[in-house]
Amino acid sequence: MKKRNSIFAEIILSVWAGLIVLPLIWIVYVSLKTNYEFYLDPWALPESLQFSNYTNAITTLNLGPVFLNTIYFVFGGLILGVTVNTMAAYILTRLEWKGKKFILGVIMLSLFLPGINILVPQYVLAVFFKLNNSLTGLILLINVALSAFDILLMSSFMRSIPKELEESARMDGASLWIIFWKIIFPLSMPGIITISIFRFLNLYNDFINPFIYLTDPSKHTVAVSVYYANTVLRYTSNYVTLFAAIVVSLVPTLVVYAIFQKRVVAGATIGAVKG
Amino acid sequence: MNRIKKFLSDHPWIAKYSFVYGFLAIPLAFYLIFYLFPNILSVYYSFMKWSGLSDPKFIGLQNYTRLFNDPFFYRSLTHNFVLMLLVPIVTLSLALILAFFLARGQSKRHDLLQALFFVPNIISSVVIGLLWAFIYNGDFGLLNALFGLIGIDMDGFWWLGNTDTALLALVPVYVWVNVGFYTLIFTNAIKGIPDSLYESAILEGATEGQILRKIVIPMIMGVISVSALFLVLMTFRSYDLVLILTGGGPGGATQVVGLYMFSMVFQILGTAARTPSYGYASAIGIILFIILIVAKFIIDKLTKTDDIEF
Repeated sequence: MKKRNSIFAEIILSVWAGLIVLPLIWIVYVSLKTNYEFYLDPWALPESLQFSNYTNAITTLNLGPVFLNTIYFVFGGLILGVTVNTMAAYILTRLEWKGKKFILGVIMLSLFLPGINILVPQYVLAVFFKLNNSLTGLILLINVALSAFDILLMSSFMRSIPKELEESARMDGASLWIIFWKIIFPLSMPGIITISIFRFLNLYNDFINPFIYLTDPSKHTVAVSVYYANTVLRYTSNYVTLFAAIVVSLVPTLVVYAIFQKRVVAGATIGAVKG
Repeated sequence: MNRIKKFLSDHPWIAKYSFVYGFLAIPLAFYLIFYLFPNILSVYYSFMKWSGLSDPKFIGLQNYTRLFNDPFFYRSLTHNFVLMLLVPIVTLSLALILAFFLARGQSKRHDLLQALFFVPNIISSVVIGLLWAFIYNGDFGLLNALFGLIGIDMDGFWWLGNTDTALLALVPVYVWVNVGFYTLIFTNAIKGIPDSLYESAILEGATEGQILRKIVIPMIMGVISVSALFLVLMTFRSYDLVLILTGGGPGGATQVVGLYMFSMVFQILGTAARTPSYGYASAIGIILFIILIVAKFIIDKLTKTDDIEF
């Protein structure tokens, strides 16, 4: 379609862009006001920039330890989940062995199941295996299990790796373990980056799991911590600090999106099959 | 160590199977125990009375009879249906218009707009929930301020605190979050329509609205209907935004089935503590399971006949 848009069309596009961006900008500039200015007129720009709101947010909400927890939770989970599923994709798509079809079928079953009904029994099992109220436990619960989505995505990337590379390595006596790490893993990098970004976003943004499983405040991740901060700071009417905390919590996802925007968008369309 | 290595290289069959099963065993066990088995367990629990403390007690179909006589359950289900109807209609109409304009634009600036529209998809539900709670806030909310600009005084009106407006106020939140994703899907679909189809329409001086209605929508109808079904399923299942925005309140006005199930076992801030009821929660979960599986069957039927690359 080579025809140019009418002015009306461009206005509609700009209005929607405004509706996405303006609330986010509003959070940022409120986070730089004093509470007094905020109550006087939530719209007005701040007289002077109150960066102290940020130091307040970091100290009153304990964001230091909270971020350490989050880094452990997100990167621990990411490394574990991506390694497990990359290796599983290799085994399930590039090796021939008895029982493969059956196991692949069992894994793909999860694409068909709605998943909402497992919330309660999964919690019972996690408590039974003592995975609750521990960051490590939650990492294991979420990331060790095979993920049909990751395996599908990885296998589509691995399909293009020529078989000859593997075969010649095997001639030279390399074990499957060596073949995986020396040949398959580096050549699957584009796929690994894609599933890593999605796992990062899912883990960083995950609210329900940490909310259910991490009852001890010293183990909270950013998402849960901001949720609880809302209830506390709302009653003390300290909104500017809350806004500062929200801005801080937004930065990592926005940075990752800014860097990997093309991959996120491309992966999201593939991810639609997950729905 | 070297002897093991030698043994394995002499017996490649053993080496392969020990590698395959040795590696897959634990991830597969986790998947079976924590993701597949709970589906069976939820059926079992749905026949039990259990608070999580004492031993579960078999009560037959009592959880289900309670469910079918529970006005709160029906009320939540009604809310789900309201959202399931309104959210897809508004989201997809908006996404269609935006995608149409983006596909016609096809400049760097339009690519940037598309990337911008997608931003709500990568933000956590906590931030989205709090952001919209501020927009709807009665004292300093952006929405009331907007009304103020056009001379309507809504000061002190709490959109999420009022039983008449709370449920409908959830719709724009879902729309805001989802439009970007469907705009992306539709833009790709529209770009796939061959140019030759437009030429005669453009020659005859058709307006944007006519091209959208007469050419674009019929051409990508398959993608639109699959998107509608996906969005219906997603809206039906989701409850985290409601949990953060209202916790199901005020007075159950925004309660949805997923959250109702959740609240049977987990404590939601701002609501009264209750004895956990694992059996009843599981029965609600099974009903949700059945509804979603039936809907999925319908989707699979439709996607097969339309062969859409989704």
